[in-house]
Amino acid sequence: MKKVMMGNHAVSYGARLSRVDVIAAYPITPQTQIVEELSELCADGKLDAKFIKVESEHSAMASCMGASAAGGRAFTATSSQGLALMHELLHFSSGGRLPIVMANVNRALGPGWNIWTEQTDSLAQRDTGWLQFYCENNQEVLDTVIMSYKIAEQLSLPVMLVLDAFILSHTYEIVDIPEQEAIDGYLPPYKPEIKMDVDNPHAFGALVTPDHYYEIRYKLQETMDRAPEVARKAGEEYGKLVGRPYDIVEPYMLDDADVVIVAAGTLVSNSRAVINEYREKGIKVGLLKLRMFRPFPTKRVRELLAGKKKIAVIDRNISFGATGIFYQELKAALYGQNNGAGSPDIFGFIIGLGGRDVTLEDIAEIVDYTLEKEKNEEDIIWMGLKR
Amino acid sequence: MSKKITFTSIADLPPLVVSMGTTEVNATGSWRYLRPVYHDKTAPCIEGCPASEDIEQYMYWAARGDFDKAWEVLVEENPFPAVCGRVCYHPCESSCNRDHFDQSLGINSIERFIGDHGLEFSLDRFKVAEEREQKIAVAGAGPAGLAAAYHLRRLGYQVTVYEKEEKPGGILQYGIPRYRLPKHILEAEIMRLERFGVEIKTGVQVGKDIPWNEFLQHDAVFLAVGVHKSRKLNVPGEDLDGVIAGLDFLSRINSGEDVSLGKNVAVIGGGNTAMDAVRTALRLGSTPAIYYRRTRAEMPAILDEIEEAEREGIPMEFLVTPVELIGENGALKAMKLQRMELGEPDESGRRRPVPVEGSEYVVEVDNVITAIGEQGDFTSIPEKLIEWGVVKSDAFGQTEQRPVFAGGDIIEQPHTVVHAIGSGKKAAMAIHAYLNGGDIATLADKIHVGNKGGVSFLRFRDGHEGDPVDNHEVVTFENINTSYFTRKDRHQVPELDVKTRITNFEEVKGTIDREAAMDEALRCFNCGVCNMCDNCLVFCPDVAIKRRDDRFRYEIDYAYCKGCGICVVECPRSALSLVPEGK
Amino acid sequence: MNHVDIQPRIPEPELMYSGHLACPGCGASLAMRYALKALGNNTMVIIPACCWSIIAGPFPYSALGVPIYHTAFETAAAVASGMKAALDQQGKSDVTVMAWAGDGGTYDIGFQALSGAAERNEDFLYVCYDNEAYMNTGIQRSSSTPFGAWTTTTPENHRKERPKKDIVGILAAHRIPYLATVSVAYPEDFIRKFQKARSIRGMKFIQILSPCPPGWKTADDQSIHISRLAVESRIFPLLEIEHGEKYTLNLEPEGISVRDYLEAQGRFRKLSEQDVAYIQNEVDRKWEMLKRQVS
Repeated sequence: MKKVMMGNHAVSYGARLSRVDVIAAYPITPQTQIVEELSELCADGKLDAKFIKVESEHSAMASCMGASAAGGRAFTATSSQGLALMHELLHFSSGGRLPIVMANVNRALGPGWNIWTEQTDSLAQRDTGWLQFYCENNQEVLDTVIMSYKIAEQLSLPVMLVLDAFILSHTYEIVDIPEQEAIDGYLPPYKPEIKMDVDNPHAFGALVTPDHYYEIRYKLQETMDRAPEVARKAGEEYGKLVGRPYDIVEPYMLDDADVVIVAAGTLVSNSRAVINEYREKGIKVGLLKLRMFRPFPTKRVRELLAGKKKIAVIDRNISFGATGIFYQELKAALYGQNNGAGSPDIFGFIIGLGGRDVTLEDIAEIVDYTLEKEKNEEDIIWMGLKR
Repeated sequence: MSKKITFTSIADLPPLVVSMGTTEVNATGSWRYLRPVYHDKTAPCIEGCPASEDIEQYMYWAARGDFDKAWEVLVEENPFPAVCGRVCYHPCESSCNRDHFDQSLGINSIERFIGDHGLEFSLDRFKVAEEREQKIAVAGAGPAGLAAAYHLRRLGYQVTVYEKEEKPGGILQYGIPRYRLPKHILEAEIMRLERFGVEIKTGVQVGKDIPWNEFLQHDAVFLAVGVHKSRKLNVPGEDLDGVIAGLDFLSRINSGEDVSLGKNVAVIGGGNTAMDAVRTALRLGSTPAIYYRRTRAEMPAILDEIEEAEREGIPMEFLVTPVELIGENGALKAMKLQRMELGEPDESGRRRPVPVEGSEYVVEVDNVITAIGEQGDFTSIPEKLIEWGVVKSDAFGQTEQRPVFAGGDIIEQPHTVVHAIGSGKKAAMAIHAYLNGGDIATLADKIHVGNKGGVSFLRFRDGHEGDPVDNHEVVTFENINTSYFTRKDRHQVPELDVKTRITNFEEVKGTIDREAAMDEALRCFNCGVCNMCDNCLVFCPDVAIKRRDDRFRYEIDYAYCKGCGICVVECPRSALSLVPEGK
Repeated sequence: MNHVDIQPRIPEPELMYSGHLACPGCGASLAMRYALKALGNNTMVIIPACCWSIIAGPFPYSALGVPIYHTAFETAAAVASGMKAALDQQGKSDVTVMAWAGDGGTYDIGFQALSGAAERNEDFLYVCYDNEAYMNTGIQRSSSTPFGAWTTTTPENHRKERPKKDIVGILAAHRIPYLATVSVAYPEDFIRKFQKARSIRGMKFIQILSPCPPGWKTADDQSIHISRLAVESRIFPLLEIEHGEKYTLNLEPEGISVRDYLEAQGRFRKLSEQDVAYIQNEVDRKWEMLKRQVS
């Protein structure tokens, strides 16, 4: 069934189709419609879940942890300050191997107050042990919620899916809602091997000395290493089910491209439009869409970008004192490939912080800059900065 | 105990921090530097009892309504609970720690209830150890002689008691008035001993009816013939008609003789015989009075008896002593008294009465009953055993001549029923040790309870295995955790009203009822002995205290006990001690 | 020699294991032992950062025979809310979820989550074992630290001048179905209240005054004694409050001087005569207030 809906509602529908058991959330612009819709679905009995209207995002994540630890499928959604407030528990939930799924609406962090889109909030959580997926449109948002549970519960790790504030959250698009039956087949009820169980009592998360902490952290990384393949398969299987396959990274006109744009979220759509224009002019520009950011899909990125000369990374975020975060990650992934011979020149563009509009012209400027420059000379190329 | 978990490879490790065993792998006992131990101690009442009754234990059973068991515990040490429950001056009660809290426990009234219970249900479950052929003779069927006979019989000996009077019981039979000790009670407790195999031959006086040498043919002999001669006043006129020796007076009344007294009866003395005599005289219709040379505070009689006499309206004249008995035609008419005042303390610690010159005065009297003390009649006992008017013996009644042992009032000890019973028990032990080639002195440490000379027959016979016990450590009030007790007055003993009682020889005091006995026994602190109150078990933060497999008492799991000592502090009755680790 | 039918004073099953890592004489360990005796094994325990994070034993061991979820300092009430929700979804509403936090995790850092859960009337039991300071980190003051008490962050020349936060009053103001105070020195009362709490739906809060020998500067063996003095001196009344309105005083002690309680602890060593008089006055005043609330 197709329906026109805002991105936030796509999140809610995804959660509903995933048959979540427990939702704990706290409102924050621009996430509010997610919780409003879920609240109504629960109240109307359309979703058989407990909705805990907690008093903070921190408690939202804590409640999800409690629910998940007891074997419930837990869901929350937040944004920006709320995500930052949860930070401690992001570590706790991944370390506790709890397959919680959270939607984060990318929004800039204060001060001053800014409710518009920016990727820094989610990217700043890159070291917490959560998987991260960035969505390009509302359909992908809905589908990613469902796939997130599929992936999370296989890996016993939490997953964050990310959508841009307003550009997706409040924008209405046509979204195909899969049949519940189909999703039930894809996503069976959550049955963890070990959980809080009075018949099989265990203590979770006790004091762990240096004797064992290291190895248990190694095991988390080991699981992370398996995540790209699990996620790829989940996307592939989902595709077979609903006709929309997803991959962890998605190339667009990449094979023969001289310049490759690397982007995530709605910037991908802008980039596609610009690439189409350049292709019409015979200029070989391609795109690598990063759906998965954590774990970083290093292997696929290396394969797909092997032999490329110039790469333009678009960051709507910044790691202060360093560079754009995608830029860092990409450089790190590609560093020293082919013994350094023929490794690409990578350009790092920062753009659209705090929700400043990124137009097609802006993207074109990025492409032009990359085409023109013989070599990258800057760590950060500031786009649209009013100097 | 949970097993220690080791991981041989990373594959063994779970993917998250999750428990796979219990903390019981962690032997926290290694933290301990102080070690709590169950360590029974002696209750002060037991130490205070010259017969060393295990009062704490029979209170334990009485409180639970198991009076059969209470009786069994009681008669381990004393064969006469019904008698002692009536006549004992109960020094146990004055030693009772509860006295510092509210009022001392009514031990004597509970003992009496238990004794009566034993009689009512004909309890006679005395255990005899293996029968022995050795024959032991006892001279005197008073409390000392019968107690010795009882314990010796329990040890398996063939015991014969020779009593010169018609009936057994000694002072109990002939001295103590019926209104304090009804005859049927005494006789029932003595008959129980006879049923148990103690042979009592009455009307036989050792040294007269049986020659001393023949008597000595027994494997061992125990002398407990008592003291029956009232001391003389040593004043002019003592031979006048109407002057009666106190013990004779009581003996004649107790034998059923009619003794006619005049109206004004003067009883001289302040001891128990004086009290018994004066109250008996009252019941015979006279108007008796006490004349005592010191003050009420120095009177040696049991306070209860003094108070009862006062309650019965008997006047007491203090600080006076008779200096002459005045007669007319050989019959007593009057008594000249001299006033006294208290001087320096004498060897008994009491202030010596000193005559006040010129204070003489005369009172008209029809009778004088002398009760200023008793002395032994040792004419039938070899002289070499006597020294300073008593039979020379050690703490266990061993005289210098084997196989002669002695006890009761003829040896150097207070003249009380319970001391007599205690001395009979000690002599029985000494005889047993002697007949088995041992020396009772070597056992003293093991069998003493407290530090006042009392000994436990139970520990003598059975030893004391299992829980460590310090016989010598007596629990003080400071050792009691009073948080676990609520203040409550002792039960009152029922008694006849004064008007009724002075007209007859009915027993003055009654026996408390079963509920009262249980209730009163519940007041017992159970000093020094675990009574399974569960405090240690409940308050252990380390789950290191468990009920023992036999469900009686607890055990400490030293693998885990951290030695915090809460169990020791919270034990209401000091049945645990904290000792330095490694000692 | 003797046999009697044992009638245990408190439930016999032990759901706390020996070998736990509490200090000798720890009131909090005893408290857990009683709590689980009362609640039984159909219980889940949530432990935020507190002494019990350590007491419960290091990986891979547990000191409890029921499931434990160790969580971040400020999250006990929120984790409990979520856990209960999931159990309800699974049809396991009979499981008692117990959040077990110290005073730091209750009065201070966990206060927001606790207040939130209380206001929502979540169906779990929140227990604060209150040892009146941050003991696990080495005795720093919390908002539960009483007036005049020494801690490492309220040294004797800069002591705490403010009274202990009235957590019971605050929770009562949330009008939760059941609120009680218990003491380890009164195990029967303790267990009865936990059993009562288990039978009530909605939010339950129980405060335990939990003596801490190293933190209160008392001998290891004094924990029960001190707890009893706290009750007897009326510093820590044993009470129940239903729906924030119905007050019950479970014990009306004769009322010994607060001095007996204070002098038994090294942490109050430097109190002056005026301080003691002030504390006595406050205790008397609050007691009168409490009596009015009861009647």
